[in-house]
Amino acid sequence: MSIALLFTIGGLTTVGLYLITARSMSRILLGFALLGHAAVLALLASGGPPGAAPITNQSTPAEIANPVPQALALTAIVISFGLTLFLLALARRQQVLSGDDLVEDDLEDHRIAEGTT
Amino acid sequence: MLWTLLAMHVVAVVAIAGSGRWLKIRVLLACAAVAPAATAIWASVQLLQGSGPTIAELTWVEGLDLGLRFSTDALALMMTLLVSGIGALVFVYATGYFSADAPSGARFSASLLGFSASMLGLVWADSVWTLFIFWELTSVTSFLLVGHKNTDEKVQQAARRALMITGAGGLVLLAGLLVLASEAGTTIITDIGQIGGSAGTVAALLVLVGAATKSAQVPFHVWLPGAMAAPTPVSAYLHSATMVKAGVLLLAVTGGAFVDVQAFQTVGMAFGVTSVLWGAIGALRHRDAKLILAWGTVSQLGLLVTLLSIGTGKAVFAAVSVLFAHALFKAALFLVVGEIDIRTGTRDIDELGGLARKMPIAFAVALAAGLSMAGAPPLLGFAAKEAAIEAVVKLSGFEMIAAGIGIIGGSVLTVAYTVRFLVTVFGPGPDTPVGPRRLAMTLPAVLLGAAGLVGFAALGVVNEIVLPAAVELNADAAKYSLLRWPGFTTAFGISAAVLIAGAALGGALSRHAAHAPEPLGADSADRLIDGTMSVARQVTARVQHGSLPVYVTVMASTASLAALPFFADLDTSHLVWADQPMQAVLAVAIVGSAIAGAFVGSRLGAALTLGAVGTGMSGLFILHGAPDLALTQLLVETIVVVGFVVGLGHLARQFPPVTGGWRTVRLTMSILGGVAVAGALAAASANPSGRTPVEQLATESVEEGGGNNIVNVILTDMRALDTLGEVVVLATVAVGILALANLRDPEASA
Repeated sequence: MSIALLFTIGGLTTVGLYLITARSMSRILLGFALLGHAAVLALLASGGPPGAAPITNQSTPAEIANPVPQALALTAIVISFGLTLFLLALARRQQVLSGDDLVEDDLEDHRIAEGTT
Repeated sequence: MLWTLLAMHVVAVVAIAGSGRWLKIRVLLACAAVAPAATAIWASVQLLQGSGPTIAELTWVEGLDLGLRFSTDALALMMTLLVSGIGALVFVYATGYFSADAPSGARFSASLLGFSASMLGLVWADSVWTLFIFWELTSVTSFLLVGHKNTDEKVQQAARRALMITGAGGLVLLAGLLVLASEAGTTIITDIGQIGGSAGTVAALLVLVGAATKSAQVPFHVWLPGAMAAPTPVSAYLHSATMVKAGVLLLAVTGGAFVDVQAFQTVGMAFGVTSVLWGAIGALRHRDAKLILAWGTVSQLGLLVTLLSIGTGKAVFAAVSVLFAHALFKAALFLVVGEIDIRTGTRDIDELGGLARKMPIAFAVALAAGLSMAGAPPLLGFAAKEAAIEAVVKLSGFEMIAAGIGIIGGSVLTVAYTVRFLVTVFGPGPDTPVGPRRLAMTLPAVLLGAAGLVGFAALGVVNEIVLPAAVELNADAAKYSLLRWPGFTTAFGISAAVLIAGAALGGALSRHAAHAPEPLGADSADRLIDGTMSVARQVTARVQHGSLPVYVTVMASTASLAALPFFADLDTSHLVWADQPMQAVLAVAIVGSAIAGAFVGSRLGAALTLGAVGTGMSGLFILHGAPDLALTQLLVETIVVVGFVVGLGHLARQFPPVTGGWRTVRLTMSILGGVAVAGALAAASANPSGRTPVEQLATESVEEGGGNNIVNVILTDMRALDTLGEVVVLATVAVGILALANLRDPEASA
């Protein structure tokens, strides 16, 4: 396995985790997008070494890269795309309603905490 | 057959629970009596035929021995007879106990029948899992029944106390059963052999505590007197005749495994002897007739635990005999007290008197059952008590002294509280007005009371029921039997002395009006329970305090630490620096853009770095030999960046400032996460577990899918359903975004 790929996966995960623990919704969605990239790369890397494009009339089966993780990764890309756009819409709604896009603490949980004192 | 009987109960429970709107409580109870009656008849036929055990099994997960397994050996049949026989009588009795228009009839009838079914499952259980499940079901149904009058705060508290103590005991029991099963190498109870060593001691102690909570052994007995808040049919059925015997039954069936465990005998004896004496003293102190019987039950259960922890053939035989006799006479006594309660309106022995004349049938029943409880001839209790005393006489040393004090001292006190109960309730005293007799209440009490007499007359039949059950537990029991007339043995002498001493003590005490004592121990149990609740609330408040970033940090850190074991055997020989030089360049560019995106202050800048990362990703895909991915990624990235720019028009230009030392925690957690993911991936890729059949995929995509691009064929052909799901997800997201985007500022539109 390539250290360059591992470095990319690790780096994207680190920045992604850092961003999803932020308070600003637009930062959180950047983090989600980066974590999505890391996951796609991890799928691809775990499928084996690179090779020719998996197209049967251009290369022999021995030359091509593993097509299964590619198919899975394709789905992953599309789904994380949908998620990113949805979060963007949420951030925008939050901005319209409250003037900023900060994620507040859960009020119900606060009420539980207050009930004990 | 076992399935049919259980199914009959379950169907009846559901039907009764559903028909409360149309039917009154008496009709429901009468319907509920059918299933136990049928089961009791089946069990008697099995016992008379002496046929071997019926086994019923339902496997769920074979490798883990998970599933339901029932087996009816002689002991289980005897218990079935008690559970279902007394159950059917109690249902009949309850039709008289409740007034015709009593509320919540469906809940009561369904819970009581549900208990009956759970108890059957418990006595039939032949796998530790099955045993545990039905054990807990009896705790839950007992909670529902104790708390029947659910508007009374005291009743709620009593029900909660019973549930918390038996529930906690259930968890301890589960731990004990796990140790027992793993040490014995099987989960099938009849296959468990003897175990020893420290694991044996741990298992024995855990099982003992579980049994002691259910069978109300001191100091876990505090829930039982409180459970008398239940309607009397419930007290008679659950809290004297059947459910409280579950702990005793558990000790009986696991006792064989713990023969070599000294702690089982010692601690069991300590529980038993303390409970015999303390229970009997409690019965002498109270004024409420029902509480006298409840404390008497604690004492009798202590006697059973003592006998089982002695564990000799004679002791086990005596235990099974006492268990059988106790179920009959104690149920009868409770039914009589319930009848007195309904017909006079009180259970206080200071307000009762002269009932021998006014309630002659109830008096006859109480006399027969009471004398059986005291162990006087000519009743079944006498034969059983003789066996118990003889088991003690055969012991030696410290064991004899401890068991002797418990059983003989307990017997004296038992005679005393029986005499006090009979004299104060039925003897001379205040002239209590008595209401009309209800046949439905009298009949079951008469049957149960007469059982003690008939059992003594037909001792051979009782022997045929009791002896095989005892032999299941200890083969040595085979040489004993219940005797009508033991002859002038030592045991008989002790018996006679016990009766005389006890009668004198009881007679003396019944002349003194007692103060109703404080429920000793119940308060501390309640404080403990309330304390547990409050700690639970505080922990919840601490753990679940509502901050999303903290939740994510905790989860990510935990997952990262869980990846640590992968690093132990990290093999670096399969790693290369980069597949192509270009890959390394792109890697640095991607990570650099990502980091820049995290720290850039402006939202537009962040969106652009995200675009840069996506473009770099497409490059990596090309290098890896995945042109489809590269194409999709580029398309997606374009739309995301456009979306950002459009969406950001409404957001502030700059991110809000990040504050505090919280940033260090976040950074540490994220670096830990990144290292964990990369390291786990490197370790996992050292040992690929298999290879994708690329050749087969290539052939099939051409021949069956009709396409040369394998990835496309996989998506549109082999995983077509998944792709359809994906399309649905995207469509849903699109609708959601549309709805959110159309939302206007409520103040602006107003």
